Amino acid sequence: MTTARSMSAARSAATVPVDSRGRTLPRQADPGQPLLVVENLRTYFSLDGDTVRAVDGVSFTLNQGEALGIAGESGCGKTTTALSLVRLLPSNAKIVEGAIRYFGIDLVQKSDTAIRRYRWREISIVFQGAMNALNPVHRLRDQIAEPLRERLNLKAGAARTKAGELLELVGIPKKRGGAYPHELSGGMRQRAMIAMALACDPAIVIGDEPTTALDVMVQAQILELLERLRRDLGLSLVLITHDLSVIAETCDRILVMYAGRVAEEGLVGEVFRAPRHPYTQKLLAAFPNIQADRRTLDVISGSPPDLRHPPPGCRFAPRCPFAMEVCTEVVPPEVTFDGVRVACHLYPPGSDGVPVTVPPAPIEAGPR
Amino acid sequence: MTVAQLQGTAPRGVHVGSGVWDLLKRLLRRPEGLIGSVILTVFIVLSLAPQLFVGPLQTAVTATAGRLEPPSGAHYFGTDELGRDMLNLTVHGARISLVIGLLATLITVAIGVVVGIVAGFVGGWLDAVLMRITDFFLVIPTFVLALILTPIIRELVGSAATEVFGIRMTLIVIVVVIGITSWSSTARIIRSQTLSLRERAFVDRARVIGAGSGHIMRRHILPNVINLIVANAVLTFAGAVLTETTLSFVGLGDPFQPSWGQLLEAARSSGAPGLGAWWYFVPPGAGIVLVVLAFTLVGSALDDLLNPKRRGRR
Amino acid sequence: MRGGYLTRRLASAFITIALITIVNFVLFRAMPGSPERVILRGTPNVTQAQLQAARVRWGLDKPVFPDQFVAYLGSTVRGDLGYSFIARGRTVTDVLAQRIWPTVILFGLGELVAILLGLALGAYTGWRRGGPIDHVGNSVSLILYSTPYFLLGMAFLLIFATTLRWFPTFGMLTAGMQYPDPWARFLDFIAHLALPLATVSLGLVGQYAIVMRSSIVETLSEDYVTTARAMGLREGRILGRHALPNALLPTVSLIAINLGYVVAGAITVEVVFNWPGLGTLAVEALTARDYPVLQGVFLLLGVSVVLANLAADLIYGALDPRVRT
Repeated sequence: MTTARSMSAARSAATVPVDSRGRTLPRQADPGQPLLVVENLRTYFSLDGDTVRAVDGVSFTLNQGEALGIAGESGCGKTTTALSLVRLLPSNAKIVEGAIRYFGIDLVQKSDTAIRRYRWREISIVFQGAMNALNPVHRLRDQIAEPLRERLNLKAGAARTKAGELLELVGIPKKRGGAYPHELSGGMRQRAMIAMALACDPAIVIGDEPTTALDVMVQAQILELLERLRRDLGLSLVLITHDLSVIAETCDRILVMYAGRVAEEGLVGEVFRAPRHPYTQKLLAAFPNIQADRRTLDVISGSPPDLRHPPPGCRFAPRCPFAMEVCTEVVPPEVTFDGVRVACHLYPPGSDGVPVTVPPAPIEAGPR
Repeated sequence: MTVAQLQGTAPRGVHVGSGVWDLLKRLLRRPEGLIGSVILTVFIVLSLAPQLFVGPLQTAVTATAGRLEPPSGAHYFGTDELGRDMLNLTVHGARISLVIGLLATLITVAIGVVVGIVAGFVGGWLDAVLMRITDFFLVIPTFVLALILTPIIRELVGSAATEVFGIRMTLIVIVVVIGITSWSSTARIIRSQTLSLRERAFVDRARVIGAGSGHIMRRHILPNVINLIVANAVLTFAGAVLTETTLSFVGLGDPFQPSWGQLLEAARSSGAPGLGAWWYFVPPGAGIVLVVLAFTLVGSALDDLLNPKRRGRR
Repeated sequence: MRGGYLTRRLASAFITIALITIVNFVLFRAMPGSPERVILRGTPNVTQAQLQAARVRWGLDKPVFPDQFVAYLGSTVRGDLGYSFIARGRTVTDVLAQRIWPTVILFGLGELVAILLGLALGAYTGWRRGGPIDHVGNSVSLILYSTPYFLLGMAFLLIFATTLRWFPTFGMLTAGMQYPDPWARFLDFIAHLALPLATVSLGLVGQYAIVMRSSIVETLSEDYVTTARAMGLREGRILGRHALPNALLPTVSLIAINLGYVVAGAITVEVVFNWPGLGTLAVEALTARDYPVLQGVFLLLGVSVVLANLAADLIYGALDPRVRT
């Protein structure tokens, strides 16, 4: 109720806050603030009486028009971070600390009803494996029209027309709107999901492994589509993936997460050229590139720690080839070198931050 | 951990073979598993040696009390229309109901497992035929079939006074009839699991080294569906107790070995509800409800713990 | 709806009905004592001539297959199910026709009430899972599910008929009553119907609520519900438009599959309240070993359940776009 009233008030008032694209923002928004600032976010799950520290002190900033890639092995807190942004967490999860500021508005403090205003209209999500993310019993057109009608109060006819346009925008012929999800290919479903995410013209689109279940050709097409939409619509993207090549192709900045914490964060070019954190180095070595021989593929031995009882110091220490005594005792601070933030005892505050390279494991690692 | 694991929706490794104690601990940690196990333990103890608790089963001859006496200090649960002590009858009824339920469950699960594994493993036309028969039993009102089968089989085997496992032949017929008519859902579950096991590598390996179909089914498939069998058997037990009760209630029980259902039938035909004699049907009724509830609770808890497809649904 | 699904369902229903017919035939042959003795039961001092006449009359002098089977099939299709022992001289079809309506009314209404109530309760408790109403609702459902219908009926009888005297204790109408007008007759019928109907409904409600609850809970963890939530839709809309339609699908088929099982409960409820339907008929026939009537009941209930399942399959097809293609 309050939301609807404040919305109409905001539209009629002379001082309507708008972002750089001219979109109307919630009344409390301060367009002078950055698009999204995440500060010291901690999201914990309770599982069988234990506390799982899935996200444990993550901070980052997303600027308008920027694409940020969040990388890491599965289970390192990427998806939980993304879901925390619009508070879509399962019932056994809770944001216990931190702030998520959208143009200065702290979303963590919003009530369950008030947060709905921000979902889809400000931040929308393209889920992984669009098969189940689309409702199997409704037609595509109706699913895309739903947020238009429900959130933007469009009339049925207008919503339907807009849905058709959105389908065309993502490269699906308008007449396919009558189809049900199971009648479409995986790539088409992912496109439809993207069309849905764009329906309310959000500021931020989060892609949670948007290309994972697709074959390589279709992956490329979807990434191209995202890239084009970002350019044409001026979207800001958060792309969550374990596939570093996706980030290399689409993103401006990369945030590497390990066991619920930030390992390294910086411009894609910088981080890929000279990865500092041993985990980033391992991750880069672990993904195949076209030049490298398949046999040189380096696999990170071991698995991420049990987040119910994480190691006391650096969480990567048990798997790190450089682990020192301090690593098992003290949590490494985040230090910034040349715009790259890294949390590793190899690069203490005041050091020169020159990358220390991991010796390749089997024969020869193939980072670029 | 992935989000699915954090939500408790991803598989966690539990296997019956790999530690009964571990399974029991997990079972008792769940509230429904604990409540069910406690109830079952009480009834199992009672039915192991009913004469220790309430003396030998009373009959019309040995009954001493008045007819349809309400509960009193002498007869905590009151008496029936023959003057028998209801506590005595209810405790002995527990033994009879549980033994019939157990035997019926064994037959049901045995048929279901054999049909399920053979259909799933052999495939082809045999699978098609077996599944048609399974569907038939799944859909039709099997209870009515049981109503017809029971008297027919009883007349075929004759009225021999022989006992099997301390159970009179009349009731053994009921056991067999329940077994014949209730195996279909077990067969379906086991078949679908067998189908997925058949595709797995270890079956191929077994085949490569020249193992026969029978050997693979016994040695490779069966141990891998044992989880499902255990969970399913416990749930089947609940159904078997209910079916026995219902068959006895419509007059197919044995007055010489009164199960709970038989007691309820006697209560109804002696007009207990119309006479206000609630004590006649409340004790055996409560027994049935508690036992079926307990098996259902334990069964669904086990199903959650053991069934790969159901884990963490709640 | 495309032909494939419909054809498969129809074929499946047809095969099941055919199997029911065959089982009925085999059961008749398997009956202890020669069938003709069973048929002539009750006739004192049967002579050889009478036996022979009965054999010829029933075609039992011909080979079992194909002659007897074909004859059996023919008469079954014509609706000729033989003669009842207990109602001597009357055909089984006639007896069944008389007893079917009370069952249809009691059971049809009971199902209707139970489905509406059970689905609503299940949907609500599943939606509010973990809350106080869920705990209470779930416990009540489980206890109702574990209670044999007739036990519930006996308790109702004792409380509401014997003790409180709110309702009559047995039958469908008061015996020997002269009604001043049809309305009075109808009211008397309703008074008799109330307790059995409540028993059938309550007996079923627990089961349906449990099925619906687990279906809703499962649906709520589906990705499309997360999508709906991410869209910022109202909770009511997420439940009504996204969770419910998908949760109803498995529920429809489970309810249909359970129909055959539910018949057992219906029979006992009729027995408790002396409701003159197919259930009491079956038990009367059982007591008198009236096999033709028992088989008639089996055939009738079996075919009804198969047809109800077919109807449920068609509803499923209409609800779920995936099975249409």
